[in-house]
Formats: sequence, C-alpha cells, structure tokens
Amino acid sequence: MDYDVLIIGGGVGGMECALNLGDMGYRVLIVEKEASIGGKMILLSKVFPTLDCASCISTPKMGATVNHENITMKVYSEVTDIVSHDKGFKVNILKKPTFVDFAKCTGCSDCETACTVAIADEFNSDLIARRSAYIAFPQAVPKKAIIDKIGTSPCSYTCPAGVKPHGYISLIRAGKFDEAFHQHVEDAPLVGCLSRACYAPCEEECTRSGLDGSLSIKKMKRFLVDHYYEKYKEPEYGIPDNQNGKRIAIVGSGPAGLSAAYYLAKTGYAVTIFEEEEKPGGLLRWGIPSYRLPKDILDRDIKNITALGVTIQTNSKVTSFEKLKNDGFDAVFLAAGNKCGASMSIPGEKLKNVWDCVHFLKQINKGENIKLGEKVAVIGGGNAAIDVARTAKRLGAKDVQIIYRRSRNEMPANNEEIEEALEENIKIEFLTNATKILKDQDALGVHLVRMELSEEDSSGRRSVKPIESSTFVKSFDTVVIAVGLKTNASMFSNEIPVCQMGKTIKVDPETLQTETSFVFAGGDIVTGPNTITTAIGQAKRASYFIDKWLQGNDLTKTRYPKKLPMVEQDTIISQYENVITEKKPIITPKTEPSDRIKSFDEYEHTLSEEEAMTESNRCLDCAGCSECRECISACPADAISLDMLPKEETITVGSVAIATGLKIVDSKKKPALGYGRFPNVIDAVQMERILAPTRPYNGVIRPSDGKVPSDVAFVLCVGSRDKTVDNRLCSRVCCMYSLKQAQLLMGSLPLADVTIYYIDIRAFGKGYEEFYQQAKEMGIYFKKGKIARIEENDQQDCTVFYEDMEGDGGMKQAKHDLVVLSVGMIPETGAQSIFSDQSLQIDENNYVLELDEDLEPGKTSIEGVFAIGSATAVRDIPDTVIHSGAVASQVASFLKRTDRTS
Amino acid sequence: MSVKKIGVYICECGGNISDFVDTERLRIEIAKEKDVDSSMVNMFTCSDAGQQKVIEDIKEKHLDGIVVASCSPKLHLGTFRAMAKRAGLNEYQYTQVNLREQCSWAHTHDMQKATKKGLRLIRAGIAKTLNSKPLKKLRVKTLPHVLVIGAGMAGMRAALSLSDIGISVHVIEKEPEVGGMTKRWGKMFPRNKNGYELVEKLETELKKRDNIELLTNAELVEKDGHIGDFSVKIQVKKDHFFSLKVGCIIVSTGFETYTPTKGEFGYGLPGIVTLPEFEELLAQTDDGSKMISYNKKQIKSICYIYCVGSRQNKMMGESAHQYCSRYCCSATVNTSNQVHEIDQTINQFHLYRDIRTYGKYELLYTKSLEEGSLYFRYDEEYPPSVSFENNTCTVVVKDSLTGNQNIKMNCDLVVLVTGMIPRTNKQLANVLKIPIGQDGFFNEIHPKLRPVETVVDGVFIAGSCQGPKNLSESVASSMAAVAKSAALLLKGYVNLEPLVAEVDPNLCEWCGECLKACPYNAIQITEIENKKIAEVVPILCKGGGVCVPACPSQAISVKGYTNTQISSMIESLAKNVDIIDEETNEEKKTS
Repeated sequence: MDYDVLIIGGGVGGMECALNLGDMGYRVLIVEKEASIGGKMILLSKVFPTLDCASCISTPKMGATVNHENITMKVYSEVTDIVSHDKGFKVNILKKPTFVDFAKCTGCSDCETACTVAIADEFNSDLIARRSAYIAFPQAVPKKAIIDKIGTSPCSYTCPAGVKPHGYISLIRAGKFDEAFHQHVEDAPLVGCLSRACYAPCEEECTRSGLDGSLSIKKMKRFLVDHYYEKYKEPEYGIPDNQNGKRIAIVGSGPAGLSAAYYLAKTGYAVTIFEEEEKPGGLLRWGIPSYRLPKDILDRDIKNITALGVTIQTNSKVTSFEKLKNDGFDAVFLAAGNKCGASMSIPGEKLKNVWDCVHFLKQINKGENIKLGEKVAVIGGGNAAIDVARTAKRLGAKDVQIIYRRSRNEMPANNEEIEEALEENIKIEFLTNATKILKDQDALGVHLVRMELSEEDSSGRRSVKPIESSTFVKSFDTVVIAVGLKTNASMFSNEIPVCQMGKTIKVDPETLQTETSFVFAGGDIVTGPNTITTAIGQAKRASYFIDKWLQGNDLTKTRYPKKLPMVEQDTIISQYENVITEKKPIITPKTEPSDRIKSFDEYEHTLSEEEAMTESNRCLDCAGCSECRECISACPADAISLDMLPKEETITVGSVAIATGLKIVDSKKKPALGYGRFPNVIDAVQMERILAPTRPYNGVIRPSDGKVPSDVAFVLCVGSRDKTVDNRLCSRVCCMYSLKQAQLLMGSLPLADVTIYYIDIRAFGKGYEEFYQQAKEMGIYFKKGKIARIEENDQQDCTVFYEDMEGDGGMKQAKHDLVVLSVGMIPETGAQSIFSDQSLQIDENNYVLELDEDLEPGKTSIEGVFAIGSATAVRDIPDTVIHSGAVASQVASFLKRTDRTS
Repeated sequence: MSVKKIGVYICECGGNISDFVDTERLRIEIAKEKDVDSSMVNMFTCSDAGQQKVIEDIKEKHLDGIVVASCSPKLHLGTFRAMAKRAGLNEYQYTQVNLREQCSWAHTHDMQKATKKGLRLIRAGIAKTLNSKPLKKLRVKTLPHVLVIGAGMAGMRAALSLSDIGISVHVIEKEPEVGGMTKRWGKMFPRNKNGYELVEKLETELKKRDNIELLTNAELVEKDGHIGDFSVKIQVKKDHFFSLKVGCIIVSTGFETYTPTKGEFGYGLPGIVTLPEFEELLAQTDDGSKMISYNKKQIKSICYIYCVGSRQNKMMGESAHQYCSRYCCSATVNTSNQVHEIDQTINQFHLYRDIRTYGKYELLYTKSLEEGSLYFRYDEEYPPSVSFENNTCTVVVKDSLTGNQNIKMNCDLVVLVTGMIPRTNKQLANVLKIPIGQDGFFNEIHPKLRPVETVVDGVFIAGSCQGPKNLSESVASSMAAVAKSAALLLKGYVNLEPLVAEVDPNLCEWCGECLKACPYNAIQITEIENKKIAEVVPILCKGGGVCVPACPSQAISVKGYTNTQISSMIESLAKNVDIIDEETNEEKKTS
C-alpha cells in the first residue's frame, strides 16, 4: 500500500481531514486538480460571522498540510480511475503538464512578467487578466509557476513545418518583433520564403475563421521578415560553439535540404550541401515566380543557414552515397526533390513551343528568354498553372488562357491567386480538356473537348468525362502543360530501394531512415510533390533522427516528440461567441493589375508596425500558452520545458475520501437578471474578490466605468431554491456571505446604500443571527421580495424589478449602481464517476449519498470510500471542518478494523 | 546564549497592514537598529512561499533570533515558531509583534502615527528576542484513554468511534439512563427515524464493547493534571467516588429545550404546547389512527408559532436568547408534514419570521407548501397574541405579507416552536474551566480553525453543548472531537509549552506567597543545602505569572517573559520616535 488514504481535493475539507489523519500517524496523499491547495476558501475576502481574514485562517492550514511529514500532495493532478485492489484500491492519477519543473522553480514570477499571453484570471473570477505563465495566487501552496497550455493552438498544430504562428503572433502583440523573428527561425529558417510562398494552412485552421475571419498570419509573418531583414542584413549569430566533429552531407538545397542543414548545424554538425544547379534554393528559386518570392528574400533566408557554417557546393551532382561516406561524411540526408512536370500523354507534347511547367518556370527564373508569341494556353488548374499563366502575362503575352477540365469549385489552385489571375485578365476555360496538339504552320492547334461532371459518388467526388461531339480547335503560339508535378528517384535506385515505380525513396515513415542506414531522406523525394512546409517538416524529423542515430540511439525505440492535441475550435468559439466585438481581418493594398503585370516585382504591400500589432491583437490565444518561449529565456532556474506531456501513475491506497466541494451556479442560467450582458451585474464570487485583501482593483469599483458605487444591491437565492435552474435546494451560505459582503461594503464605502433583496434570511449557525442583527443595525436595507428582472440604462445603472412582498405590495422597481447576484452552489461532480468496478451512489441532487447521515457521517455506498463536507451536501466552512473531522475518525476506524495500513 | 543577530520580517498581510502602515518605511527604520542584520517586507509571511523566503534568509545570514511583525500571535504564533524551527533556530527566540490587530486595524485613519506606533512595537519585539534564551518544549506521555461526559447521541457515538480506533473510553452520564433528549422523541427530521430506536441501537452496541465502560448517575467532580495525562474524580450516585487517569476529555453534555414562561404566547393555557411536547404527543399517536387527538379531542387545526425563545431582542436584557436555534424550522416543517400524512384534513398555519430550512431541508419546506400549509410572517415587534376562549385557541397575527393585516385564526392546538438553550451545569463548568460564550453555550477556540477544541488543552466539546445542532450535526461534531483525541493520543506524547515559572534558589527565602497565589497547585516546597525554597512543577504550571508579583524577593519569573525581557520591552516602547520624515507625512494613502 503506497498510502493509507487518498484524499481527492485539497480544499479546507480535504486539508482538515489530511491533517487529522496525518497527526494520527496515517500516510495521506492529497490529489488536487488546481495548481494550489486551498480550495474556494483561500479566495474569499473575510469569513462570517467572525470577519476573520480568509487568507489568514487558510494559510496556516495550507502551510501545515504541505509541511506535514505524513502528508504528500500532488497538485495539478486528477484521479482518473479507482478500482478495488487486494485489500484496498488501485488509483490512477493523471498529472497535467505544468511545463515547469517544480523542483527547480523558485516562484520568482520572472516567467509571469515575460509571458506574452493574457488569460482571464479564474482566481479573480475573470475580473482581470493573468498571464499564461502564472502563479495561481500570492498565497499559493506550493508557490510554483505553471504554464497554462491546454493543448496546441490550431494554427501551430496544423503547420507541417512545426512553425508556431501563435508564438510569433503573441510576440508581435507584445511589440517584440526581433524575438518573434528569432522564434520563427528556430522552428524554420526559411522565414522569408514562407512569408511569401506558403499557402498558410494555419489560416484555414485559425479559430477566428469561424467567427469574423482568420487572422492574416502570413501578412504578419511578412511584416516580421521585412522588419527584421531591413534591420539585419546578416544573421546575428555565427558558427555555434557546440561543434561535435561529425560531418553530414545533404543532397539538394531545396526547402528540405536547407532546413535540415540549419537544424543539424545548430546541433553541432559540420554540414555540406551538394547542389546540382549553379545556385541553391531548388524549387524556391526555380519554381516560384519572383513576383511571389523575390530572389533577394531567398538569398537572405539562405544566409540564416550558411551563417552557421554550412557549406553549399553548387554545380555538384552526387552520384554515390558510398563515396560520400568514404569522403568522411558520417551521415547523408537525401533531399533532392528532382521534380519535373507531369505528362498528359496526348499527341503533340513534344512539339516545339510546347512546354512542361517546371522547365518553363525554371527557364524564366534563370533569366533566359522564351519567345512566347501573343497567345498562350496553360493546361491545368493547380498553382503551377496559375504561376505559368501569370508569368506569361508578365512576359508580354496578350492572350493567356487556362484550360481546366473541371469547374471553378474543383480547381485546386489557391483561391486568392485565381482571383488575382482573373484580375490580370487571364481567362479560364472551365470544363474543357486538350486531346491533342498539332502543329499549325507557325502556331499550334490545340484540340479541345468540352467536359461534364458526374453526380457525386459515395466519397463525394465528381468524375469528369468528355461530352460527345463537342470537339473544337483553338490556335495558340505557346502551350504549357501544367497538369501536375512528379518526382524521380530512379537515379538512386542502385544504392537504396525506391518505391512508387521509382518516383520516391523508400524510408521508415517514423525516422525517415533508408535501408542504407547512414542515408536518411526527406522532402518531395519521399512524399512526392508536396508543400514547402511539408518538406521542412520532413527535414526537421530527419534531422532529429540523424542526430539520435549518430549519438548511437536505437531508432526503433526513439520516438519523435509529440505535440499536445489540438484544442477544439468549437470549444473556443463557444467561449467567445456573443462576447467579442467583431473585427475583420486586415486588408493590405495591392498594386493595380494593369501595373503589376508590367514587372516581376511584388505587388502586395507589407503591413506597418501598427497594422501588424492591431492584427495580432485579434488572436484568441486558443491553447493559452503560445509557445513564444519568452518564459524559457526569462527563467533564471532553467525550470521550463514546453515539451512536457501528461503523466499517468498508478498507486495503491487503503481508503479514499472525496473532498471535491462545490461550484457556483452559472448566473447566466437566469437570463432575466442580465449577468454576462450588463457589466454592472456581477456575481457574489466576483464581489468576494473585489473585497479581498489580494483584490484586483485595490478598491470597490464597478466594472463598467470604474465608478465607486454609491448604491449596491444584493439579490439572494440566485440559482438556489429554484427549480428552473434544477437546484431546488437552499445553498445555505448565500444569506450569510451576502450579509458579510454588505457589512464589508458599509466599511469601505461608508456613504453607500446597501439593499439586500431576500426571501428568508437564513442566519442559523453559531453567531449568525447576531451577525444579521448587526447588519440591520449598520443600516443595511432588507427587502423581502423576489427579483423578476434587471434592466440597464444609458449610464449602465441597473434597475431592479421586484415584487414588494411586504409594505404596499405589488411590482416595484429600484435603481442601483451595482447589483450583486448571490449565487447558489451545486456539487462538483467530477470525481463521482471514477470508480470503475463499484458504483458510488449519488443522491437525487447529485451529491454523494451518505448511507446513514445521522450516525455514520461521510460513509458512502462503497466500503472504504468516504465523502467529506460539501461533497455530500452544501456546507459552510465550520460545518465542513467538523464533517471533515468526523470523516477522519471514520477513516481511522475503517483502517483499524480492516487492517489496511501501509 | 543570548541573541546577537536578528532578522525582522514585516508582513503586509495582503493590504491588511500595508494599507494603513507604511511597511517599507518601517523596514528602512528597523534596518538601522543595532543587532538587526536583516529586514524584509512580505506580502503574506504566513504563506508557504513567504515562510520559505524567511527560512532562506535566516540560514543565509546565520541569524540567531527573529521578529515577525504581522497579525495576532493567537493566529500565527504556532506557524512562525514552526518556521523558526525549520530554519534551525530555537523556536522561543522568536517574537511575534501584533502589527495588525494592535496597530493597522486600530489606526486606519492616520498612517503616519500608525507607522510610528508600529516602529515602537517592533522595537519592543526586538528587545524581547534579544533577551530571550533557548527553551525546550516539555514532552509528556499521553494515555490512550478518554473520558466522555454525557451519554446522549453525541457522547455515545464518540465513544464507539474511539473504541473502533482502539482507544478505551469511560462514558459518564448524569441521568440514570442514556440517550439524552433523543430518546424522548419519535420520528425525527429529516429522515423520520425514531429517536428512541436510535438510542437503543447505540446503547446496545456500546455495551458490547470491551474497551468502553459506561456509568450512569455519574458526574465529574474534580479534574487535575494536564493534556495527555488528566486525573479525574467521578462521583457515582450520591456517595461513591472513584478516580481515573485519562489522556483527554470529550464534553457532550447536550442542551435543554426552552420552556416558555407562563403566559408567553399563552403558554399554560389548554391547547398550547411546545414543540417537544407536541413531538411526544405524535410519538404516542398510532400511525394507523388517521387522526390526532389532544385531551381526547380530535385536532382539526394547528397553529405553529416559530422562534419562541429564540432570536430574542437584545433589549430584553442579558438573558435574552439572541441566537437562532437552527434546528427548529426544519423540525417543525417536518413535523407538520407528518401531521399531514396522518390526517390530511387538518389545517395547518405557520407563523414565522424567516423559514430557515437550510440546505437539503428546503425540500421539506417545499413539500409543506405543496401540501397546503399556510405561512404567515410576523415581525418581532408585533408577536402574535394567543388566547383561549370557548374551548378553542384564538391566535391573532399581524401578517406582513398581506399588508400587515391582523388575521385571526381559531385552532385546536397551538404549537410553540421552542428552541434550544444551553444546559446550566455550573459544577462541570467550574471543574473543566471551559469558557462560555455570549449565548451561554460552551465556546470553541475558533469556529473555523478549531471548532471542537477549547482553550483548555485536551478538553474537547462535541454536540449541542457548543451550540444548537440537529442529530447528524451533533454526531459529526462528536466524531470530529474523536479525530482530535485520536490525533493527540495515538502519537503517544504531547509537547507542552516551556513558558513556565522558575525559581532562583539564591534569591528565594521561602515565604509561601507564590504557593498561595498559584491557582494550579504548581508550587511545592523543597530544600536545597538546608535551605527551604519554592519549586515549580513544570507540567502543572500554566505560565500564568501570578506568582511573579507575589514574590517579595523577585526570586520567581516566567520563562520567555523574564523581568529583563519585559523591562527591555518597556524601554524600547518608550524610546523616542522622531525618524518619520516628510515623505510619510505626504501620506501615500490612508485607506
């Protein structure tokens, strides 16, 4: 038995029980789901009826608990499963990742200061914001920082290259542009290229696209690049100090080769890239027109890699990996994309003036002249087709036509680029296909046929077939076939196995290692034609495993680090819907189509600093932590690691005590009261925080305008004694805490009027009635009457409509500056369903059922399982402490009787 | 070994202090004091992190004494002593200065003067620490045996629980029978269990246990000794006495019900009964009878008047029961539901002030409303009047819910919902010296932190002797007292405060004045080198200090409060404070 008793929940009930049992000599484990023990009590202002400061009387219990020799605490952890085991229970505990090593953390708050993400502070009842890196509250036990990261933000999760848009966006928001750039470079060094040529899948996943439009992530990235490259013509760093003496050869200098060189060089390897062509860059240089990706940006990007000491040998074709090994390279990364245009297999493809798109674009990008003539046909509907068409336009062709066999809906090219092509007066013949190309004197006769789409098949795809007798011929000067790309790996087949009929290299999909163990491969040569980001992602993966392999690790046992699961956009949207103000994505001006076709210059403008910051402010911080890594730089104890994953452990215990306590009823369940709609209708937990010594505003003010309220009303029984919110019970504490808050308000705002609207004042405990009488004597007004609804005027004052049950009777109204809803309590039910082999009985009001409340406090339907305090019925603090003591003696009796001690 | 290097830690108490006292200014001034090697301001010194900071500071600077200027030592003396101990200091070379209750909270409107006063208080604390000597706690063995006083439900349940845990128990009951109030009652709210059946159940179980001895007709007459090792003398019946040694005592002497004075709401007239009397009547009513009779007359209508003897106005004088009796609303509503079950034709009227069916008991109230009970609300200034004429009771109530109309109702029975009152047992109170609260019930140390402990170490209170409670609440509190007893006794020892008197044998001339002054019999006479002198028995001494001024030759003093310490503190308090400059005068803020 690891522990004699497991206590679930470290609130006042759990702590009291633990201390009693610990003093008796039992070994106690407390599992608390929040970052600190202390429960709800530590967050209160003062406590009734003694008006003790809640902090002052909680902290000794918290301190005693953490320092007790027989008590172990696991915070930020949840019990996920309990089964009977031997004489006791087997308990599964999930430790949520804190991303901070508690052993190293000193609670200095430096990470909190550095953090770029603001999140509503639940410990201050969402009245103010806290950071994603935070210490729960000043008196937290343990006082350790935690990074609030509930998963991976959709943008960062989606990026195949492992770039973290959320991170650099939050850095832009914080005005830390250089840091933002650095953050990106570390993930992917070709920042400039990506800021121009990436198709930004992150923007498609952006949660805000489900509200008022995705963030303009790519535009912000371009701002970063232009801002940084303007300032730093050369990288700020040089060759790293951590040289390990090993050498790596990379074949190919496209996005995969360049990126792998960067990652490996940073790790300490001496890297040489072998490039067949006269300049590095691969498809980035030869395949993408300059108006989309200026070559100086690419060159500057390449400096990010070469600054690390990477050598690029151009005009060097690699013919044998074995030779590279003999030349002293310890490993090889093969990233030669080797693309060419796919063929249509129609007659006439080999004719003069008929091009494939890859050769066509390469020729142009090399600056060689092509005589196009006036009329150019581009066959195909992908991005390459658009690139070719727009390039042709810029080369002076008058009539450029794209011929595509399906309709606009099916067109795979990027939508924005299709629009831009149309603006540039490029025509698209939809539902048309070429069947053959014949030479027609100086021109080319392209035989075309009209196509039709079938109905959707079961997979939702519509096939396409020619319409009979619809053939016609059109005459063009140049035809470019852009129906797709293909790769070719056959030249390596004598040394390493290939697949897909020689198109790609065969690799282990996890490690990207080939059957020749020192050769790894990645990018298009492995995946087939794919995006830049996919190639970079492959490079990153290969670099990781090359490093592991060279360190002598067994790769079959090595796993690539996982991202935390993506947070669900729907969950985030539901939080923000009806709350955020609509703000459309930023629009950047573009050069007029008639002007932009005159050159290969970029035609879209870069965001200004202000625009970038404004746009970054639209970010919803979906996952909490943005992974901007500022905390890592700030932490003096080196305690932060963003790779931490949830950890599970199994322990055995002799008995279990559930002390999961209460939660408040959501006041939005009473829409007529305006909570959530009117800023000056707050709930009592918020008022509790406003009055607490660690208060958010340093004074009592109302949220809408910061005015000191001169007339405050309390509405009792909100969410209690009310079947419309499914809580017919009285919540027991609301009358008293309202009396307390009213008294405290009278103390801090002596001139204010305070009115309490009530049904019955339930001041039943020791000293409570006296406390009520004291409130009356202080001049607090009491009105018996239920509130029907609350309305707001132009000044955001609140008018309360109520039934005046005493006095004259009838419906009345009264205006107040601030209305506090005295919300009721319902049980926290999270831990009720964790018993997988026995059933824990729950009563009709969702509390844990006490089998014999009169004589056996806390005893549940499972032998050896007890429930403390408000887990069985709503209780105030004194009653919880008493009940908790009773449960401690129950547990001790049980352990003694069953001899279950460890 | 006196203290030479002192650390002073000033607490902001999250604004409780720093809003009214300039803590940073204090720190600067204190840092100038001789012997102060470290000074620091903390937001919450009592928090775990706050304590950790202090501990690190003590270790780093090799301090040998500390002062914490924070709240009342009542709250955190133990906390900071433990902290000092963890830092490797002697916990008695720590002084707590009460900067909150005695300074910031008392002077919320003059920051400058409050800061000045704070400086004086801290200086006095420094003086005390400087003149302190290391002390060691007195460790005494505890006896694994408990005395439970009162064999009502709470006492019996506590005894069984102690027995379960393996601690032997003596239960004494003043009455000839066990069961207290509960045995008189039939169906009890909220689960309608029979009171006498519950009593019987526990009694039977109690008698089965080898490690429980039950004595009826028995009372505690003397108590001696200290926590962990009390000697008690018990009187059984009139003439039999015996002594017992126990580790701790649980008091569960219960309550009494309020009996209205003659004429109060017509009490004394026929047809007017108290709630307990009505309960007894119902207990005797056969479940199948389908009718309720009183004085052989069938009851057709009942009027309940709530808050009789509870929530009384304090203008009524010191004996007024100002408190709410807590259980009566729920009990009455439940009783009324039982009445409805027996005979649905009975009209029931409830005259109440506030219906306090808290928590789950709200469902009883909902049921009562659904079943047709009528509720009228009266103000305490206009209590209902009750008269008895023509064989029927007449009640007139000024109902605030219908525009303060006077509503007159005739009914066959008026039930006065009487509350709980404290049981008067002067002898027990004298023997145990448990403080009694304003409401007349025994007082706990702190309602939240230590609800079953009393200022007398080792004496716990359980059940409704501490305040009105229903059955399950009484039982829970008695078992909480069991937990405290077990925590104390299972460990086998307890540490006692070493702050006890000591005699300087050189100065003592044995005159016996100290012996006369001591209320705890902690002084005895001894002989050293043929000289008769006084000697203190440390485990009996409470450090009360009444012996100190009684001694004509200043031979006796209390450790931790020596004459040197006290006079140095007085000097420090009186020392001039002229250092507060204009900066504070400008007032950062006063509230």
